[in-house]
Amino acid sequence: MKKSEWSDREIEELLRHMPKIQDHRDPRDIYQNLSLKKRKTFPWVLPSIAAAAALFLLIVLGPKLMDGGPKTQYSFDQSSNKKSVEQNIAMKKKDAAQKDYSISKAENYDRMSEGPLKTAIYEDEIGSGKVITYWVPDDQAQNLIPVSTIVQESQNESWLDLFNEHMSQVNEDAWGLSEYYPINAEFKYDEKNQILEVNVPADHQYGQGAANELMFLNIIKKDIASNSDLKKVKLFTDGKPGIEFGNTGIETELIIQPEKNHAYLLYYPNNNETPYLVPTIESFKTIKDAIAAMKKDDPTNGLRKSMLFELSEKDMTIQDNTLHVTMEKNAKMKNDQITLFSFEALLLTAKEFGLEKVMIKNAPIKQIGPFDLSIENKVPIAPNLRNIE
Amino acid sequence: MDSVFDELYKKYHHDVFQFLFYMVRNREQAEDLVQEVYIRVFKSYNRFEGKSSEKTWLFSIARNVAIDYFRKQKGWKDRLMEKFDWSTNQLKDDYPIPEEITVQKEEIQWVYKCLEYCNVDQRAVIILRFLQDLSIAETAQALGWTESKVKTTQHRSLKLIKKHMETFYAKEESNIEKVRVER
Repeated sequence: MKKSEWSDREIEELLRHMPKIQDHRDPRDIYQNLSLKKRKTFPWVLPSIAAAAALFLLIVLGPKLMDGGPKTQYSFDQSSNKKSVEQNIAMKKKDAAQKDYSISKAENYDRMSEGPLKTAIYEDEIGSGKVITYWVPDDQAQNLIPVSTIVQESQNESWLDLFNEHMSQVNEDAWGLSEYYPINAEFKYDEKNQILEVNVPADHQYGQGAANELMFLNIIKKDIASNSDLKKVKLFTDGKPGIEFGNTGIETELIIQPEKNHAYLLYYPNNNETPYLVPTIESFKTIKDAIAAMKKDDPTNGLRKSMLFELSEKDMTIQDNTLHVTMEKNAKMKNDQITLFSFEALLLTAKEFGLEKVMIKNAPIKQIGPFDLSIENKVPIAPNLRNIE
Repeated sequence: MDSVFDELYKKYHHDVFQFLFYMVRNREQAEDLVQEVYIRVFKSYNRFEGKSSEKTWLFSIARNVAIDYFRKQKGWKDRLMEKFDWSTNQLKDDYPIPEEITVQKEEIQWVYKCLEYCNVDQRAVIILRFLQDLSIAETAQALGWTESKVKTTQHRSLKLIKKHMETFYAKEESNIEKVRVER
């Protein structure tokens, strides 16, 4: 029966008749859920692991990020220079910066060291050591850059022994170049037939992709051409003749031709202010053509012009294996790093054409770094000296 | 299985469950909360001094669990709004009426709905006093109140329920009237 009014007692009575509610779950389930939940009593464990991992990553990646691209480094240098250098000099710097980005960069380099430094290896520097040149791809794998080092020769080691020995110490990363060495192959010299044997393992990666195989073949050719006068290389895979390349098919031998008649330009690796002197892929008929090419940037290959001298086009002669060039009247020349690079590029290019000495006539200054311009200077033994440890 | 759990389960599980069920008015929530009660019991079982009976101790934990649950239900936004908006002092829930209630006679259903209008304290007192049949003294112990506070709260909640029962009745009457008129 429904009523319109209830007394307290009646309400109480109704409340007492409220249905009894029971938990239908098995006590064992409840207990199991409990122990599951108990384990979750450390809610800070996961976040703290994540935080530790993040911190670790930050420590590992931090320095790399700090270094940043070449842009950040450049701007840093500029700003620090502006502060430290007198206004007078800063004005000059501005002029130079307008002329060429690379020049201002090299000038920075200049001030950081004591004076302009030569980068190639010359006769008088070798002493009892031996020069080994490794051709290393740049970090875009566009150019092959010859990097030379002086190694101490112990009893009767051939160039190949030294080449093999020091291959693993090539430090591409520190030089701003691509990781390539040690080459995953065995180099052996067959004395009877005067042939070099290159043996790659069965699982080698050098045949994969056109760029890959081309680079491998070029590096082998250039390494051998610049370190020896061998003419022929035989290729083996796991002891069997021939190496299979995806595009060219199976190659059993390479004919080595001496590298000749290239012009040297400048290559600036990322994060690095010191340029490398790099021969062009193209070769030239005459040294005049080569010097003309040195006056232009080569943007397709990422190379910058190396020739800053105002040389007279007409007065360029070769006598007794010596290149004679003449500076234009009123031409300017500074004793700084970029000028030295320019001079070395000229020396190396002259060497490409089989010349032994270079003489600059009418030079406005007498000295560039260690070079005395009033006399004939000998061409270097090899470009781009870097130390290997 | 843990012997402590076993004992507590046998003696009090359904009482605690029923208390939580009427507090939060939802079976699933009650099931979750009863777990939480056990966890808190195990954490502080060593500290249980025996000043009160085990039963009232369990109920006091269950009440705290329920209150924490209601606090969590309201986000920080709601809590902030509540500070400014005093008209929404009521704790309302939107759960449908559980099956156990819908099969009961209409008056029981009304009572259940009326409980919604009680605040947490009032509801706790009603449940402990009438559904669990605890004495005034036991209820005071479980809630940590004085006996007189229990008595006044109980009186007020009964009055509140009575008031809402009457409105339910009035609504019902008018519905029937309407039906008659329409005929």
